[in-house]
Amino acid sequence: MRLNQTLKSASFKLSAAYAGLFAVSVCILAVLTYFSVTGGLSAQFRARIRSESRALQSDYMAGGVSQVLRIIGERQRGRLVYGLDYSLWDKNGHHLFGSLPDVPCRAGWTTLTGPPDGDEAPGEQEQLKLYVTPLDGEACLLIGDDWGKVQEFGDLILKTFAWISLLSLTMAIVGGLFLSSRFLKRIETINRTAEAIIEGDMKRRVPRRNAPDDLDRLAATLNRMLDRTTSLMESLKHLSNDIAHDLRTPLGRLRQLLEPARHEQLSGDEYRALLDKGVKEIDTILDMFAALLRIAQIESGNRRAGFQRFCLSQLVSDICDTFAPALEEDGRELREVIVPNIWINGDPELLTLSLANLLENANTHTPHSASITVSVCRSRKGIELCVADNGPGVPAQDTMRIFQRFYRLDESRTTSGNGLGLSIVAAVAELHNASIFAADNRPGLRVGMTFPQAA
Amino acid sequence: MSILLVEDEEALAGYLKSELGNCGHVVEHVARGDLAYEAATHGGNYDLLVVDRMLPGLDGLSLIQRLRKENTKTPVLFLSNLGGLDDRVEGLNAGADDYLAKPFAFSELLARVNALLRRPPGINEPQLLRLGEFELDRIKRKLTRAGVPILLQPREMGLLEYLLLRRGQIVTRTMLLEGVWGYHFDPKTHIVETHMSRLRAKLGEDIIQTIRGSGYIIRAPQPDA
Repeated sequence: MRLNQTLKSASFKLSAAYAGLFAVSVCILAVLTYFSVTGGLSAQFRARIRSESRALQSDYMAGGVSQVLRIIGERQRGRLVYGLDYSLWDKNGHHLFGSLPDVPCRAGWTTLTGPPDGDEAPGEQEQLKLYVTPLDGEACLLIGDDWGKVQEFGDLILKTFAWISLLSLTMAIVGGLFLSSRFLKRIETINRTAEAIIEGDMKRRVPRRNAPDDLDRLAATLNRMLDRTTSLMESLKHLSNDIAHDLRTPLGRLRQLLEPARHEQLSGDEYRALLDKGVKEIDTILDMFAALLRIAQIESGNRRAGFQRFCLSQLVSDICDTFAPALEEDGRELREVIVPNIWINGDPELLTLSLANLLENANTHTPHSASITVSVCRSRKGIELCVADNGPGVPAQDTMRIFQRFYRLDESRTTSGNGLGLSIVAAVAELHNASIFAADNRPGLRVGMTFPQAA
Repeated sequence: MSILLVEDEEALAGYLKSELGNCGHVVEHVARGDLAYEAATHGGNYDLLVVDRMLPGLDGLSLIQRLRKENTKTPVLFLSNLGGLDDRVEGLNAGADDYLAKPFAFSELLARVNALLRRPPGINEPQLLRLGEFELDRIKRKLTRAGVPILLQPREMGLLEYLLLRRGQIVTRTMLLEGVWGYHFDPKTHIVETHMSRLRAKLGEDIIQTIRGSGYIIRAPQPDA
């Protein structure tokens, strides 16, 4: 099973392919070497015999057959030095020298198989290559040598290469098996981690080796992905908890309202007042759902298709005009610090909704004498839309949590609102690729969004 | 006035039919889009169609589109229970004259039905709107009372204009938010109320009345009041 897995692994296949490629190239190299070496050797072989033939021919010119006989006799005695075989006949076919068999007296090469002389493999005949040199019709000279030496050399080359390629193939395969099993072991670790997570152990992570290689980077990426997934799942779980909790509150109030009404005898007006209260509670629930649906719709990103270029300064100034009387009625002060003529690309309706939510948030969570400042300006990061107040603010550790759905400070649990207003602001900002911020206004809260600088 | 109500939710349809009937309207009810199309094109001469979005047979949007393609000019009030951001735009683009998201208060529906019935679309409104001693010039954006100019903020001017164009009719808070401010959401802040009280203070005479639980109505001052 394990071997089968190794054989099927990508890294093993890769190393096998490399080994195969290497073997093919070794074969080509062997064939080339074989032919060039044996070719060279045989050319050298022939050149040696030819030059001997020419030398003896000139000896013959100088001193006739007797001179040739004398020289080959000397050469034969020094056979170990020259290594050549000689034979000489006269024109009548009488052997004058040497014991090589008869051949027709025509100039050129001929091949003979002679009795073994000891350096052949058992059962093999010695192969002789002979050069025939007619000496003016008076005699016939035969010079030869063991051709087997050349062939043996070629065989040796082939054998050597065969061993080399066998050895290197074995090493490649063994090495490939070794490397791929190591690789597989790490893949298996990742696999086991994934299996464990599927089984429900969300805390499991792929072990790291802190080596800067691909697999380690993959492990790091997978771990980051798992962290993100876990945090999203957590927030989803919180969200459904929060929805359930926040839904239970008004439904519980509704029940408390209706239950006693069934038993008590009330007048028509009292009943009417009770029903009005009930309708109000139901409206609270409906508002909550409308806000949730709205957030989902904004987050789906479909609204981006309807983006248009409009003057943000004008929009904000109009909204301030609209809200100022209502805010001032309770004694709050609304100040505008708006840089004119700032245009952006976006959805004016959703930005109106966002700014309204920001203003209402400031209005709900500040005392009556508070001052609220709306500003639109260019900053280093882009175009900033901000609502600041000098109210009680939000504890530092909670500032970014105010954008979470259903987040409400404990002190504001009793005030109206469903804790979704700023979530809508966050969703609208996200839709516009704007970043949201919330900070201490010393005193109070500064909250808003920064649009990326329009090109 | 005769109204064709196209709604597949039986309980809601029965309630609307009886309530609108109590207010003096003749209501015919169909539960299917295709039947509504037949009723509106053959025979039935209705003053207003109230159309739900989700309908069996033929959906509300397609129904309105088909009717408009065949040059039916009858005003349409479009109802939707999706309450979404884009439904309003889609409904109005299909040719509806007004849009109301479910769930709604009956008073809201009634105000809109009356507005659509009394103001047939396509009639040019005059430049000068008069009511008692008041005269509003819609082009010059000026208001005078017995010849004496009264200075209004742009929003107050818009508010008064909207009311004057619908004199004698109940106008709801939501209608004002949509018509004057273009807000299609419900601010928790009392922006309509505060602007209205400022406008009333500037007019000096109580021509705008608050109808509890419904909205506002503008009427000429009674001579003996």
